[in-house]
Amino acid sequence: MSLGTRFDSQGTLVAEESAMREAVSGGLAGLAFASFILGVLSLFQYLPVDATVAGVTVSAILGGGLTLVGAGTVGLGLTSYAGRFETSPGHTGGLASAVFIGSLWFAVGGLVAAQTLGLSTLWPLLALLSGGVAAAVALVAREDLGVTLSAGLFVLLSGLVVLTGVVGPGWRWDPNGFSIVATGTVGVPVIALFAGLVGAWVAARVYGGFGAQGRQTGAYVLVGTNAAGMLALLVAVVSFIVIRGWAPMTEGIRYGLYWGPVTWFNPPVLDSWVIVEGPILWFYWPFVMEGYGLNIPIDGVLPAIAGTFWLVVGAVAFAVPLGVGAAVFLTEYAEQGRFTFLVEISTNGLWSTPSIVYGLFGLAFLVPRLGNTPSLLSGQLVLGFMLLPLVVITSRESLKSVPDEYRDASAALGVSRWETIKSVVLPAAMPGVVTGVILGVGRIAGETAPILLVTTSSPFSSEVAGVVQGGFGFVGSFPFVTVPTLDLVQSSNALPYQLFAIIGAGLGENLDFAWGTALVLLLVVLSFYAVGIASRVYFRRKLNA
Amino acid sequence: MSESTTQSQDDAQSTTDDAAASATADATAGTTTGRDASADHTTAGETDEELREEWTQYSFEGEPKLSVEDLDVYYGDDHAIQSVSMDIPRNSVTALIGPSGCGKSTFLRSLNRMNDRINSARVEGSVQLDGEEIYQDGVDLVELRKRVGMVFQAPNPFPKSIRDNVAYGPRKHGELRTGLVARLLGRDDTEKEDELVERSLRQAALYDEVKDRLDDNALGLSGGQQQRLCIARCLAVDPEVILMDEPASALDPIATSKIEDLIEELAEDYTVVVVTHNMQQAARISDQTAVFLTGGELVEYDDTDEIFENPESQRVEDYITGKFG
Repeated sequence: MSLGTRFDSQGTLVAEESAMREAVSGGLAGLAFASFILGVLSLFQYLPVDATVAGVTVSAILGGGLTLVGAGTVGLGLTSYAGRFETSPGHTGGLASAVFIGSLWFAVGGLVAAQTLGLSTLWPLLALLSGGVAAAVALVAREDLGVTLSAGLFVLLSGLVVLTGVVGPGWRWDPNGFSIVATGTVGVPVIALFAGLVGAWVAARVYGGFGAQGRQTGAYVLVGTNAAGMLALLVAVVSFIVIRGWAPMTEGIRYGLYWGPVTWFNPPVLDSWVIVEGPILWFYWPFVMEGYGLNIPIDGVLPAIAGTFWLVVGAVAFAVPLGVGAAVFLTEYAEQGRFTFLVEISTNGLWSTPSIVYGLFGLAFLVPRLGNTPSLLSGQLVLGFMLLPLVVITSRESLKSVPDEYRDASAALGVSRWETIKSVVLPAAMPGVVTGVILGVGRIAGETAPILLVTTSSPFSSEVAGVVQGGFGFVGSFPFVTVPTLDLVQSSNALPYQLFAIIGAGLGENLDFAWGTALVLLLVVLSFYAVGIASRVYFRRKLNA
Repeated sequence: MSESTTQSQDDAQSTTDDAAASATADATAGTTTGRDASADHTTAGETDEELREEWTQYSFEGEPKLSVEDLDVYYGDDHAIQSVSMDIPRNSVTALIGPSGCGKSTFLRSLNRMNDRINSARVEGSVQLDGEEIYQDGVDLVELRKRVGMVFQAPNPFPKSIRDNVAYGPRKHGELRTGLVARLLGRDDTEKEDELVERSLRQAALYDEVKDRLDDNALGLSGGQQQRLCIARCLAVDPEVILMDEPASALDPIATSKIEDLIEELAEDYTVVVVTHNMQQAARISDQTAVFLTGGELVEYDDTDEIFENPESQRVEDYITGKFG
């Protein structure tokens, strides 16, 4: 492409033809994207392929749309090749595009050869042939012709196959050697998904007028669709839980304002009780304020919430100081060499060790030594072991990213290494450390397997494990305080285990309870996140304010 | 010296001051005889010339503040500083100039033992501060660096408030007590701290610009202000010597001129040693100038006027007139 043609095409960019090309290709991209969305909806049975919309089946709508997109893009490519539109196509469609289109056609050719024509051993030949031809067309022909022809024909073919009912609602395919059966309810949406995406991509390339701009728009559509898909997935998961869990979680909430005695006392002079009355706010939320029992009208998960809370608090209190300390030693004091490399490898390995392995270790090693009973303390320690490597890894990373200038400046002022770490390096690394802890808490709060082994005894508890209940006082002898029921060596429940137990107990009709528990677990983890994010914001603001 | 390695111009320019210079093993390098820095390890454009001892002889009245004798610095196998000897007079500005990779920053960092922080660095020879050897066992690095402060090339304030930056050194040395315990025990030095912060910032010609926002983060200051803050932070620990490693090279002309004015003022009370790339700057602010050339050798050391108007070495003349470097 010479400089001259580029200026020419820039000069006519606002011409009538170009505006029309953009309108048509934009419409085709929209149509393809709509087919993609419709494909998603029908795949998840919100709009099954055999449902009718305005007298037409979804299958026919998908087929018609894709046929239109395919024919339209091929037509646009041909008119562009004929020079009717001002575009700036490259000499080739590009290697990546050719490989992508080639593999699409490889699959099409293979399926047609093996299933439709029934070629048992010759199908790879045909698959290779069709894939190779498509890739070659995309690679060798000028971009506007090559890409639209090879990819547009794929969309067109997919559309025709669905439109003519070759793969329709009644279609059935049980491939030899696989114990699966594909039906039209799955086949049509899957075809629509693929072809819709490819169609949107090609139409976007036409929209950008091929060349660098076209590749940019095409990639933008693909990346954007991908990002939107990820977001949609997350929203779907969360809203699924919220929708199912909301009703059981909020069942029986009662609140009100009433007039009652707020406080009362007996002054010695008066020698009679003075009662101060006032408005009292009353709030009762049985699902999170009650345990599970026969005499409780609405069963709740309070013991499990308390258990999860204590487990996370204990694990963080155990792992964060140790992990940050180890990271400080490894980064600031130890000589960087084989030893630190080895430690790095093993912490990475520990972080990816399956949690049941930690749980088994806790069961075999900790439980017999800590009262020989499943206990909160063992659970806290095991979860702390799991959290430790992540804290070490992330703390090391954030300590390493503290600029050496700070250390130099501090040393040049005659400040010792430890003082430097304490007052300059650690504060600067704090946001990174907190980020690591947030990630780790998210994982350990949802851990079921180690809890099942080392902490829980009964799946449905009615009582909260009394970690700090009652009785705190000062005494005259060592250690001068007494907490009679500071009892970490007792079993407790935890939300993920409760969830597992409900499902495992086969309370089929009572799965509402499980959904409510799942929602509460989600909220508990989110509130831990909120604490973590707030503290990260605090530390960051201290650095940058 | 035929054993010297050849160093191309590219090499010379890409070598940083810290990882300095060519790996020459100049066995006869010493102070007794004239050294031969000729041959083929010079930066392109340098002429072959013998070094003469009298070029680096600089006499002045009074005791030297810093006295360097036969200093050699090695980074692994690299010989970064070759047997440098020079005396630095008190309450003056001494400029160290030379092309990239000539070892002037390394020399500067060996005056307060900052080279100790580099694992591969090895220092031989003697540096005396007020007649006391700093390279001997039992030297208190904290005390040494309190007396010999340092300002770096890029402004490097801590991500703390301006006040905390200035008060950092004295607080860490236990000279200021402002913590909760001190407040409870009635030994609070907040007033003393305020005075110190104000005095240091005034000395660094920064106070009027920041007096209303002492509690704002120092990273919000401009580059020139940050560098003056670093100077104030250095002054707050009350040093006797201030080492400056190209303190204005990252700054714009206006900020540079402020720093230069400041250096001249500081020389009334402090001994300032400043590394610079900028020969005009050296000529403007310094009382005496030391010229380092390729290979980590001190070629000439004399009054600044003498160096710039009547250099004895041909290489120095070529360097300051811009023929190489």
